[in-house]
Amino acid sequence: MTAQPDMEKLDEQIQRIKQAALALSEMGDQFPAVKRNAARVLVSVKMLEINVSDIVGLTIP
Amino acid sequence: MISEQPYWNPVLETLPLEKLYALQLKKFKSIFRWTYENSRFHRSLYDEAGITPSDIREFKDIRHVPIVEKSMMRCIQCKDPYPYGDCLCVPLEEVSNFRQTSGTTGQPVYQADSMQDWDWWAESWAFILWAQGYRPSDRVFIPFGYNIFVAFWAGHYAAEKIGCEVVPGGVLDTQSRILKIQELKATAMMGTPTYMLGMADTAKNKVGIDPGTLGIRRITCAGEPGASVPATKKRMEEAWNAKVFDHAGATEIGAWSYECLDQPGGMHVNDALFLVEIEDIETGEIIDEPGRRGKMIITALDRMAMPCVRFDSKDVIEWDTNPCSCGRTFRLIKGGVLGRVDDITKVRGVLLSPVAIEDVVRSIDGLGDEYEVVVDKLGETDTISLKVELLPGNENNAGRIEDQLRHQLRLKTNLAYSIEFHDLGKLPRYEVKARRFKDLRKTP
Repeated sequence: MTAQPDMEKLDEQIQRIKQAALALSEMGDQFPAVKRNAARVLVSVKMLEINVSDIVGLTIP
Repeated sequence: MISEQPYWNPVLETLPLEKLYALQLKKFKSIFRWTYENSRFHRSLYDEAGITPSDIREFKDIRHVPIVEKSMMRCIQCKDPYPYGDCLCVPLEEVSNFRQTSGTTGQPVYQADSMQDWDWWAESWAFILWAQGYRPSDRVFIPFGYNIFVAFWAGHYAAEKIGCEVVPGGVLDTQSRILKIQELKATAMMGTPTYMLGMADTAKNKVGIDPGTLGIRRITCAGEPGASVPATKKRMEEAWNAKVFDHAGATEIGAWSYECLDQPGGMHVNDALFLVEIEDIETGEIIDEPGRRGKMIITALDRMAMPCVRFDSKDVIEWDTNPCSCGRTFRLIKGGVLGRVDDITKVRGVLLSPVAIEDVVRSIDGLGDEYEVVVDKLGETDTISLKVELLPGNENNAGRIEDQLRHQLRLKTNLAYSIEFHDLGKLPRYEVKARRFKDLRKTP
């Protein structure tokens, strides 16, 4: 049996990447290569959120 | 080693059901609010029903949200912005991918995906491929036309995502594809059951290669129910000497269901990305218990550009509440997709599903893979005829085969057929979705 991943820690790292990608996107308004590649990073961040962040702190009603 | 990990997402795929339901409720609230606020089409549908996002508090409230039918999607495409109409929830500049449905059941529906949606498609397929044993060491050959239909595009990107090497077998003809598989020593493949059987036939009879020796270890099917039809699955597995897996998906929905390596006689629903409900076809009542068939109402919980919220897929399914030995808690549907509401028809008062005929024909030795069913009317009486192909060398067994066929058809479909035998190769061949069932009673 493998150890359960620490979802909170994983989510912390995901949110850091998200903040960095959002900052890059803002800075890239006149720099298409930065703007569009930051957009792609944000898409990957969304997939990480679907896999990890969405269940962090989930409570059963 | 990551390759030894049995689950693509070890947390989501083993989440206790009550937590999965909590996740679905949380996500449904979010996608419903998004859709309500951004799609003019959905907004007017929900306003008419008097339902707003704040009305969704508990799981049971979801059942009050109006169902969307495909015919509604076709109508809204006449509106702006072209060509998607007023259910588009993002500016046109954010649409990165156009796809369309095959139009099997009428005029095609145009589907917009944003860059995020497109990665979400690949993500949903990544769950499938990992569960079916695809790993970074696989070389995946995709004998698909790479056209406007979504089919194996998402499989391609998912295989890349999980680390496989992908060989796009796009414009090659079938014989060239077989030779390329042989040359590159491909280990896995994706295709419709019809094409997988046809390809095996071409390998054997036109190229002179036994497809079972090519080294393909696994095949993922889509587009038709064949990989969940036991006799069709068996024929493919024997021909290719490979494990054959089914999956279910649709352009307007996403890839929502798949067989795992343990193949428990059904498919897992990806309960983390989709909310699947089963509705009684006659009463509209939601079915939660096993053993009752109904049509699927589905929500893609993370699809944003053109949302899929409580969509009537017309797929007929039933729950299987037995746990799967693979350890996934994602719910199972028994026997995969059992048919489509549109396909199930009454013949002489008996409900007939064409899939049942396929299972009979392909379970009988001496018959080829192809068949054709024609339902017609003679006066006031329904007639049903079945055309099959006799494999060479079985001419003297035709009587025995016919008896066996009649007996099995009577047993599985409760109907008597007029049977026609044809030589191998005489019935039409199909490359993608086959049209083997013809109901001439519906012809104007």
